[in-house]
Amino acid sequence: MLTWLTHSVNGLAYGSLLFLVASGLTITFGLMRTVNLAHGAFYLIGGYLAYDLATDGTDYWLALLAGVVAAAIGGMIVERAFLHRLAGRELPQIVLTLGVAYIIGDQILANYGGDPVAPPTPPGLEGPVTIGDWIFPKFRLVMIGVAIGLALVVGALLKYTPTGAKVRAAVDDEEIARAVGIRVPLVFLLVFGCGTGLAAFAGVWGGAFTSLAPESGFEVLLLALIVVVVGGLGSIGGALTAAFIVGLVDQYGKVWFPEWALFTLYASVAALLAVRPSGLFGKAVFR
Amino acid sequence: MRGLSTGRLTALAAGLAAVAGLVLLPFLTDSFYTFVATRMLLLGLFATAYNAVFGFGGMASLGHAAFYGIGGYSVGIGVTRWDWPPLVVLPVAIVLGAAAAAVFGIMCLRVRGIYLLLLTLALAQAIAGLAFYQTEWTGGDNGIPSISRDGLPSAVREGDGFYWLSLGVVAVCVALLWMYQRSPLGMSVVGVRESEARMSATGYRTGRLRIIAFTVSGAFAAVAGVMEVYLQGSVSTANMHWQISAEVLVFAILGGARHFLGPFLGAVMVTGLEVWVSTYTDRWMTVLGIVYIATALFLADGVLGRAGWAVRRAKDLRAGPAAAPAAAPKDRTELPAEAPA
Repeated sequence: MLTWLTHSVNGLAYGSLLFLVASGLTITFGLMRTVNLAHGAFYLIGGYLAYDLATDGTDYWLALLAGVVAAAIGGMIVERAFLHRLAGRELPQIVLTLGVAYIIGDQILANYGGDPVAPPTPPGLEGPVTIGDWIFPKFRLVMIGVAIGLALVVGALLKYTPTGAKVRAAVDDEEIARAVGIRVPLVFLLVFGCGTGLAAFAGVWGGAFTSLAPESGFEVLLLALIVVVVGGLGSIGGALTAAFIVGLVDQYGKVWFPEWALFTLYASVAALLAVRPSGLFGKAVFR
Repeated sequence: MRGLSTGRLTALAAGLAAVAGLVLLPFLTDSFYTFVATRMLLLGLFATAYNAVFGFGGMASLGHAAFYGIGGYSVGIGVTRWDWPPLVVLPVAIVLGAAAAAVFGIMCLRVRGIYLLLLTLALAQAIAGLAFYQTEWTGGDNGIPSISRDGLPSAVREGDGFYWLSLGVVAVCVALLWMYQRSPLGMSVVGVRESEARMSATGYRTGRLRIIAFTVSGAFAAVAGVMEVYLQGSVSTANMHWQISAEVLVFAILGGARHFLGPFLGAVMVTGLEVWVSTYTDRWMTVLGIVYIATALFLADGVLGRAGWAVRRAKDLRAGPAAAPAAAPKDRTELPAEAPA
């Protein structure tokens, strides 16, 4: 009984990590409709920078902040220099961001080598919690809470604040939004920076969870893409639900049929998409 | 030679010279460059097969590594377990690749654009997951090493001979793909790309045409995978990696997806660049990233598209300043938009 509880909570914790990665993607891909395959690379930038600073003795939260800010700035540079030229053209966006991801991944490989590294667990969250007979790592439990909290905050920001309204207006009808005085390019720039910053935050926390290697950027990217699409593009709640489902399917798949682990995950996602292309909670058809 | 214009004669001469150059290539270079040329041919075939779905079918697939890998694993498993000769391996690989591609096509009937891209990616990842975890069959992450070429006739087993074998296989496959593309069937697939609604209103079964495009493409992609594994002598999950799907997509865009030989050219260019750059630096992936960025920004219609545009503009300039300037290239490779319901 307790093993099943552990498996379930593990699945939820992994799903939370996926949501942390996917939250940035829901904004840039789901909302802005900009396909960013370099999302995993910004995850790596955050994780590696925080690892570097934290092992050099910088305060943990400062290191985390540095990683997030660096990735946000990097993302805004990519958006301003390249991506905004390709607005609405997904295929070139894919090729371009994949190129960016290759460059970042290769430079990380050159500087840090291919061995996995792990940023430290946030201070105060080390060790297990014990509830009755049940023992579980505290960090993973907190991660679930952070994921739910983040979903609520991002959702509320988009829904209830003037800034969120501007973002939604800029996405829904760029020309009208410009006409009423919203600075759409600036909005897109900042939104993209937020997205890559969130990726970096996920990198710092996710790195402490699963450790980082130059190729792990693409692993989380693929899963996060799935989460965003299964949840329905642009739907924060959908992404959270999808992240939990994917986390649980992944966990139980590994426990029950280890030889079919990745197959069960991707095949069920493919089956869902084949039948319901707009995902679980997606309504708007993607152009 | 009456009836042939000078332009045709030049084209014929250039074609003959190209064929002669390809056949005689092993005599002109050393064994390393013959190996590189073999790889270029096989990746070129893969890219040409991919374009049956992408450029001509208008469906941007990100899952073709699956068919390529299925071809590869057919060799690996067939040869190391049952000592299959190539004449058994090849048909089996073609059937498996075509069958998998047909499944992809059926699953993708309801999706377009970015959703098709992600769905093919998920399907290919599911198959790659099998290659990774069915270790008893595939050797898991290590793959299947030391696959012997002993089943091949001794004349084409090594080096130059294998190059000629590959050249023959690639020539036959590319010719078949050309014939398919020019046939009424291939033309109606292009029709689906141009306007699915009109095609279906005229009575074509557009869904079936899309599945056929996938099937043809998957079969030939599997052939490329088979030959590549015979060349390398091993197969692993790297043959199924989704970055291979991305690479073949970039081959097609870079060369020019609206031209039959564009993807082939893209494959040759990137492979050649890799060999050349690798003599100077270990950071090939960084250079490849720069190539991707440049392709996305400046070569959306490919090298051949750009070249055609330059030729048209030169003609217009020669026609005199009064002539209208050439229009900007129109055949940009865009992700096909969703057809109106």
